[in-house]
Amino acid sequence: MLLAASTAAAAPCTGESARGPFPTCFDPGNRLSVTAATDGFGGAVALRHEIHFVDEPDLVWKLEHVFFDTTYDGFRDNFDGTLYKGRFFRHARNGHIVLPFGDPSGVFLHSDIGAIFEVGHLSWRGMDPASLGIVKTALLTDVTRSKDFRTHLAIGPVGSWDVDLAPASVKVADHHIAPFSAGLVELHLESDDGLSILNVRGEAGTAWHTSGQWHSFALGEADLERIVLAINDRPIALYGLARYDSARAEATAAIGVRIVLVAKTDQRVSRL
Amino acid sequence: MHAAQAMSFARDAVRVAIAIGALHARPALADVLPPMMDPDLPVHCARDASGFVWRIQCDERAKVCLYAPNDELDTDGNRTKPLERARECTVGDTFDRDKLTAAGYVMKPGRADAPFGWTRDDRGRVFQVDFDLRRRLYFGAAYSPQKVLENPLESTRTSFDFGLLVAEWTNHGENGAATRHRLHLFEGQVHVQPFSADVTAAHYDISHRWTDALLRITTFTGTPQRHDLVLDLGLWTEAGGLELRRSALGDSQLYKHATAQVTVDLWQSDDMESFLRFRTGGGLEGQHDDVNGYRSALTEASALDLDTQLDDKGFQYLRVEVSHEVPRYFTPYRTDVFVQRFRARAQYETIVLAINDQPLTLRLAAGGEKRNDIPGIPDKWAFVLDAGLRFNLWAPPHKRS
Repeated sequence: MLLAASTAAAAPCTGESARGPFPTCFDPGNRLSVTAATDGFGGAVALRHEIHFVDEPDLVWKLEHVFFDTTYDGFRDNFDGTLYKGRFFRHARNGHIVLPFGDPSGVFLHSDIGAIFEVGHLSWRGMDPASLGIVKTALLTDVTRSKDFRTHLAIGPVGSWDVDLAPASVKVADHHIAPFSAGLVELHLESDDGLSILNVRGEAGTAWHTSGQWHSFALGEADLERIVLAINDRPIALYGLARYDSARAEATAAIGVRIVLVAKTDQRVSRL
Repeated sequence: MHAAQAMSFARDAVRVAIAIGALHARPALADVLPPMMDPDLPVHCARDASGFVWRIQCDERAKVCLYAPNDELDTDGNRTKPLERARECTVGDTFDRDKLTAAGYVMKPGRADAPFGWTRDDRGRVFQVDFDLRRRLYFGAAYSPQKVLENPLESTRTSFDFGLLVAEWTNHGENGAATRHRLHLFEGQVHVQPFSADVTAAHYDISHRWTDALLRITTFTGTPQRHDLVLDLGLWTEAGGLELRRSALGDSQLYKHATAQVTVDLWQSDDMESFLRFRTGGGLEGQHDDVNGYRSALTEASALDLDTQLDDKGFQYLRVEVSHEVPRYFTPYRTDVFVQRFRARAQYETIVLAINDQPLTLRLAAGGEKRNDIPGIPDKWAFVLDAGLRFNLWAPPHKRS
């Protein structure tokens, strides 16, 4: 009895009830979830992990992966899905630039760097031509220099290659290429218990089209998620999102429910 | 017992203070970098009279002891943070300056030790100076500075290249045998103005170093001699290749579904990271253009590849590829010519700086292509030059041989 009491007290993410302990913290970066929202049904597989080094304890590679992030609205035949999204940050105690001339020397800065890599983003809106994002990548500078996944505010140049498909076919109508001629800003805030998450992302710049012209574009997206209950320790969250896409001249908003089917238990949750 | 240990510690502290503290003014701020401690030799730590811990390494041959603070220093020479990537060393009482001096040792300021592939500045801050670009994620942009020849595939243009993962590693076997694995995921390049693109979803190849001769030839003219013929055979595969070209007659898409080739390494470096090889084999592809529609083919392909690292620390790389492909269409769409594709590429890549130990590389590339499988593209060589920058993530130091 004493042991159980002391364990519960020492585990900040474990609640207690007459029928036993239950988790009060969740890991939103490691889960298989499905969504039902006003913009359709979908799901995603999210994984995230860190790589640490024994001889440099302050160096952390923070790797986030999202697979098969999809949403489909059967009523309006709208689809949006991404095969893979990766975000990689390297957090170090000191940031620096090394000049490898003569005796290599370092110019020391204070920033973390990283990158995003997105592959296979397919979307369509009803009978409108579909768009296929073949690759998008960006060099990110994280000014928050957070050691964990819970916070980042990153900016950086974006390179991307997208394809517009011809209506009702898979034939390519137009390619848009942004050879790092666009910029991205990304904010992620996650509460310590993982119950609340805010993501804001903006992207703007110019892209070359196979028509031979450069066109400016802007994308904006914000989503807020809040876990409101859990069934068998599987969290269920309410979420809302707003999105703007200048290419489609489209501003959308949606609210919905995210149900986590499989999740990794937060490490701070006591298993006793 | 405790009193004796305390007395011993106090004596050592005084010795260390005399040996180090008195000599050490601000060596970390000197213009010329002091020598670094050898990461392979033992390091001792000792505390001076002020309580500061020093790292000390003595070289028996040179009769020199290097000493360095066990902490990073700020611009004024004050200690700030523990050293990163430094070996653990416990403060002991084994350092005896008087004994070492009597034995002819000279005390000199140095820089603390760092692992292979890393170094330190005069303030003890560590940074990477050896990069393995065969283990990385990269993306970059390039610019073609000039028009070389008049051709639809050439013009002033920019390009964007990327690689989701490049991972190469070596498994060592018995008696010097080894296998080099090369895995590349989602690599490609997109050119604008005019448009062209090449993407490969997955590439995997292996090189093997055989220790047993394939053929052993003995000659009996004069003194009998044995001549071993070693054939370093390997395997080269790709899946999910896509080539997009645009000409005056429309767009062309070439889907290289899967390709498998046998490789013969004509030369391998000792670490097997660099090689010159010939490869040949076949693949299944599908091609679509606006004139001929879709057609499938089995393609015979051969190539000569050179991939070599030009310096020890991985700052410079050279890659050359010359390839020839002959598609054999299931339904021939033209009989007037022998359809084939030639390609030659050369790329030099060198690290220009590293940001947070992640290298930024300068890439100079030249390429040529001659093909007659795409309507609207003349059957003659077209050349292009690219100069650009690549940002690389990961790129750890080479594994120490």
